[in-house]
Amino acid sequence: MILRFAALAAGLLAVAAGALLVGGTELSPGAIGNALLHPNSGEVATIVWQLRLPRIAIGAFVGAALAIAGALLQGLLRNPLVDPYLTGVSAGAAVAIVLSISAGVAAAAVPALGFAAGLATAVTVAALARRGASLDATRLILAGVSLSSLFAAVIALVLTRVQGGGSAPAIVSWLAGTLSGRSMGDMFFAAPYALLGAILAFLSAPALNALRLGDVRAAAVGVDVGRAQWTILASSSLLAASAVTLSGTIGFVGLIVPHVARRMVGSDARYVLAASALLGAALTIVADALSRTLLAPAEIPIGVLLAFIGVPAFLYLYLRDRRTAAA
Amino acid sequence: MIAVRDLALRVGGKPLLASMSFEIGAGEFVGILGRNGAGKTTLLRALAGLHPADGGSVALNSRGIGAFSPAERSRAIAFVTSDDVFADRLTVREVVAAGRYPHHRWWQWTQEPHDAQAIAGALGAVELQSFADREFATLSSGERQRVWIALAIAQEAPLLFLDEPTSHLDLRAAQHILALLRQQVKAGKTVVCVLHDPNEAAAYADRAMLLAGGRILAFEENQRVLTPGLLEQAYGLKMESVITAAGTRRIFPSAG
Repeated sequence: MILRFAALAAGLLAVAAGALLVGGTELSPGAIGNALLHPNSGEVATIVWQLRLPRIAIGAFVGAALAIAGALLQGLLRNPLVDPYLTGVSAGAAVAIVLSISAGVAAAAVPALGFAAGLATAVTVAALARRGASLDATRLILAGVSLSSLFAAVIALVLTRVQGGGSAPAIVSWLAGTLSGRSMGDMFFAAPYALLGAILAFLSAPALNALRLGDVRAAAVGVDVGRAQWTILASSSLLAASAVTLSGTIGFVGLIVPHVARRMVGSDARYVLAASALLGAALTIVADALSRTLLAPAEIPIGVLLAFIGVPAFLYLYLRDRRTAAA
Repeated sequence: MIAVRDLALRVGGKPLLASMSFEIGAGEFVGILGRNGAGKTTLLRALAGLHPADGGSVALNSRGIGAFSPAERSRAIAFVTSDDVFADRLTVREVVAAGRYPHHRWWQWTQEPHDAQAIAGALGAVELQSFADREFATLSSGERQRVWIALAIAQEAPLLFLDEPTSHLDLRAAQHILALLRQQVKAGKTVVCVLHDPNEAAAYADRAMLLAGGRILAFEENQRVLTPGLLEQAYGLKMESVITAAGTRRIFPSAG
């Protein structure tokens, strides 16, 4: 297991190093290495330290947050088809962000508004899914899907109203998911919430392991089922809201990565969460690098690119599983 | 050990069982019988502190079951349900390891030295040592039932409560499970078990509890409870009994 995690960590570092080479200005590995060692050594150092490293860090942050959030919800709901946006986090954030962009709210305030609205939506969905002290999985999914479609309708309405207006491109780019134009400042705004979410996630791993056997068995071995469910839901919502605030709606990382992680390290929640974080970070860095290079100098939104990679990958995994099950 | 006073239980707002009072002593094997919907499972859950009492009290060693923290309660009582589960790719050992949860702090990632020993001992007790690394999803119903019991044994709780451990099992697997439970009683545990077959209860339990009409119809030694008369009352079926060549009394619903 240690070897597998060492390989995952090495893979993440390699991907990050590779991504440093990608960008509008062609830089040699030597020049980049030099710039890394001397942060104030001129133009190359500025590109590396001000543009490329932050983008890689933000990609890793978003990818890890989404993947952990996805692994948590899939475990909590015992449903491998769940993604971290199920609780309405992204739809809620999207509505707030779309409305505030179209209303001309100062750009600096937009992420905070999105974050707050995303969390508020998750809280509403959780409240609707409450049964006694615990959560009803079916109600959670129904509430999440209903609110998300309501918000999608609001967004569609806003988009038709602003058509041709100045704010449409900003809205569309945000909805498609992108890491461009995000600063380390944005990341530091989201980081404390994501960190809190990640800590709660890793603390919940033993309870998540017991919950795999069903709520009754979990309660029978001493899990405070209600508390564990709320903790896991809060953790996943904090992580997803932090990610959405930074990058818009990037799909498939939170859905696919936990599956790949389980394939690599088994189904123990402790390992799945850690492996998901590493794999989610690596996948997002790779996808972002590709999104900048495939049609350079134009940029494909990373959310769109991940869907193009993610859907076939998911279908492949799913069909292969079905074949194995049939065999 | 367990003392129940005036216990009333409701399910979905509807009264199910009322004014039950009884005691179960340490080292007993108690079988609970009754028709579907008579309240056997709910009563068992209430005894395990997993279903709230709507009146009266359940006390374990003179302490109200509600006063136990979840982990404390699970160190005292292991509850086995046969509900099926989406087991993903869990191995038998991983399933049984869940029994160690109440012996750790809720956020604790690492195993204690004693955990591996408890898990191996539990697998040994149900004769599944060689299955430890098998995927749970590949097991038969009888083997799964033994895994659930191993999970409960790994909890190292003195009380073992089981909800219909022999349902869906073939004759041989069912006998195996009941013999395992008898062994647990011999090893000092108290077993309370929901059963469907009065003959199983007669063969393995010390006392039988018969639930009917929202109350306890009888709770006494097997011979005095598992009689055609009481069973007819509980199940609304004509019953008859025969004595086998080996001298064992068997009870059946009369044909026709």
